[in-house]
Amino acid sequence: MSLQRTPKKNSTAFWDARRGTIYSQKGGWVIGEAIHNHGFSMMDDLVGKKSYFQVLVLNATGRLPERRLADWLEAYFICLSWPDARIWCNQIGSLAGTARTTPVAAITAGVLASDSQIFGPGATKEGVDFITTALAKKKEGRTIDEIFRPYQRRPDMVPKITGYARPVASGDERVPAMERVREQLGFEIGEHLAFAFEIENVLAERFQEYMNIGGYRCAFLCDQGFSGTEIYRILSSAVLAGVSACYAEAMDSPADSFLTLRCDDMDYQGPPLREI
Amino acid sequence: MTMTKSRPTVKRRKAQHVARTVTKIWYEKPTAQNPYLAERCYCYGYDLHELIRQKSFVDVFFLLFAGELPSQEQSKLLEALMIGLINSGPRHPATRAAMNAAVGKARHSHILPIGLSVLGGAHSGGDEVEQSMRFLRKATRRTPEDIAAEIKDKFCSSEEDFHIVPGFGTRFGGRDPMPHQLAAYLASLPGSGEAIQWGEKFAARIAEKEMGWLDTGVAAATLCDLGFLPKQGAGLYQLLRAPGILAHGQELSNKPITAMPFLSEENYVIAKDAQKK
Repeated sequence: MSLQRTPKKNSTAFWDARRGTIYSQKGGWVIGEAIHNHGFSMMDDLVGKKSYFQVLVLNATGRLPERRLADWLEAYFICLSWPDARIWCNQIGSLAGTARTTPVAAITAGVLASDSQIFGPGATKEGVDFITTALAKKKEGRTIDEIFRPYQRRPDMVPKITGYARPVASGDERVPAMERVREQLGFEIGEHLAFAFEIENVLAERFQEYMNIGGYRCAFLCDQGFSGTEIYRILSSAVLAGVSACYAEAMDSPADSFLTLRCDDMDYQGPPLREI
Repeated sequence: MTMTKSRPTVKRRKAQHVARTVTKIWYEKPTAQNPYLAERCYCYGYDLHELIRQKSFVDVFFLLFAGELPSQEQSKLLEALMIGLINSGPRHPATRAAMNAAVGKARHSHILPIGLSVLGGAHSGGDEVEQSMRFLRKATRRTPEDIAAEIKDKFCSSEEDFHIVPGFGTRFGGRDPMPHQLAAYLASLPGSGEAIQWGEKFAARIAEKEMGWLDTGVAAATLCDLGFLPKQGAGLYQLLRAPGILAHGQELSNKPITAMPFLSEENYVIAKDAQKK
């Protein structure tokens, strides 16, 4: 297929070539023949032979990973699947349930809320940017203090680094759990994860702050050869099982009964009542 | 290097979360009988019923997001923008998403949020409006000529970077006439301000490169002149664009799936590498 890859100014040829035709490097359904997927026949080569998480990575990146990486990802998704309705994305599932939406609307809305700068897959790009840049600086001979400095207001203050510390609590029980999984699956600690731990050790000693699951997953998956963009795509639906639990519980309870609010449960601090 | 060995038990931070969520927007006066029911609602202090009787939808819309009722000039400017943006048209990806959902028999209540999610994008969507507002707030401190000179190299080196700065550039290889017509009208209104006027000059400056205003830039400049913050830009753009997205979706929602193209095999070209071996 010879297709113009980029537009040229003052020419509509690039767009003309795409009118009425889809060009796919990924695959598709040839009716009566096969469902092609990155060089595989889905029904013959993937269904029943590869895990869902292997196909998820294949579709997101174009590369079929080994089974143990897919198993690592599945364990990671479990780490983000708490049935706790206080967690922001999960509470959206509860609110959707109490408002009687469909489960698909609830889960979609909850997953959308996890596209956040402080938790969930939304924090991926910054997390990957940090660990890859920090590692490059280390290789240039920079010290940890020099690496921390752009993230601190003053040198004695805790650096605000995506992937370290977390809202609500200090420490992260998911990191040792995923370390256990990594060891069980036989993954070595790569250079990104090793340096991520080095940073954690300094932060722990000086500020009693630790790596969170987001920082851990970014470093580990960088070591597996994924880019930040690829990691973001792979992990985009990671919270869905937790949202599902919270939706189900609220949906199975009376409508409008989830964490009810009286009028005076909102603290109005706007202008005093006034005439137009 | 391995994980810190001395990991303490995970503990809740001492951060104090508020006991009640604060709002400056809305006050609900409970009834005497049932504290969950409101007998009067007030928007920034104004009784909703008084607003219904005395103010236009546009005025109350402005109040809801700005905290004060608009001047006549502001109201007219916002109304013009709302009409100008009321429909991104059936070819915009966000509208097409809504149409696809509708013809695919998605539930009617899903059509609008599906379209609005797509409208959040960084290309011709809400994210670009926010970026454009950030750009304009800084750029308007300098002359359009200065900024155009500064990005001159981008004109020369990039054939694919059509959005030369957020909110300005080319659309499908050309200078999009519709946002220019809207911007010119908005600029003629007494409520227009520094951002729209600056954008007009900047658009003229980059015209020789077949570039100019984009819809997102016009929206951004107008929202800046109305006093809104960049963090409000993405959502307001989605809101103002919502009617057209929903209307086009609803137009297809009772139609058979044959009412939209489903490409033939000849028009769905799978790269050789993607085909089964």
